[in-house]
Amino acid sequence: MIVALEVAFGLVALLGAVSTALVRDSYGKVISLGVLVAGIVPFIVDRGYLDVAVAVSLIAPVVTIFVLMAVRRAEA
Amino acid sequence: MIALYLVAAIAVFAAVRVVIEQKTGRKLPYANVMNFAVAGTIVLLLDHPLSLVAAAAYFVGSTLEANAVASTYAGGMKR
Amino acid sequence: MNAVFALGLAILVIGVLSVAFVRPKTYVARLINLEIPAWGLLLVMLAYDEALALLTFVAVTAISTFVIVRLMEWRDASC
Repeated sequence: MIVALEVAFGLVALLGAVSTALVRDSYGKVISLGVLVAGIVPFIVDRGYLDVAVAVSLIAPVVTIFVLMAVRRAEA
Repeated sequence: MIALYLVAAIAVFAAVRVVIEQKTGRKLPYANVMNFAVAGTIVLLLDHPLSLVAAAAYFVGSTLEANAVASTYAGGMKR
Repeated sequence: MNAVFALGLAILVIGVLSVAFVRPKTYVARLINLEIPAWGLLLVMLAYDEALALLTFVAVTAISTFVIVRLMEWRDASC
């Protein structure tokens, strides 16, 4: 990959990881987890594993919906 | 090649705005912008016929995730 | 050292520290923080070239998250 793009998406992934670790709100944590996944997927595509990228893109929302079930149960 | 840099810059800007916003209702539109920018990056990054399928899968998955978060934040389905 | 490997190690360390010293000390926050080292370990495994290991790891992470969510619901309902 081009070095500038590696720096850009590495910055997005690190920003998502740090934000997920430090934000206290549950919905903010879930949104920051989406930022982390969005930073990681271009690295998987760049290595040429397109089938892994399809699997990750379809499984990550399912994990988020599972977590949201627990969040809604804990809020109520 | 200029389109790739433009889309990556939009993704970084939207990610920074998602992190520095305080309210959840203002985080969600910038998360959508970042998801669309990353979907565009996946298309432009690699010359392979299957990369369009990967970008479509990421588009569908990220839209489903953002809508699930927004629906749960707005109160979910009233039963 | 590869850039993917270094980024994966950094995310893995951040995730492990955030799971160990979770700030709102609840089960949900710890479960959400547990997702961070999973993605970091995926990025470390991407530096070595094994496609089948990546697919299996993603599937097992999703299934274990589902099991932990059901366990939390069952524990809250029982006591």
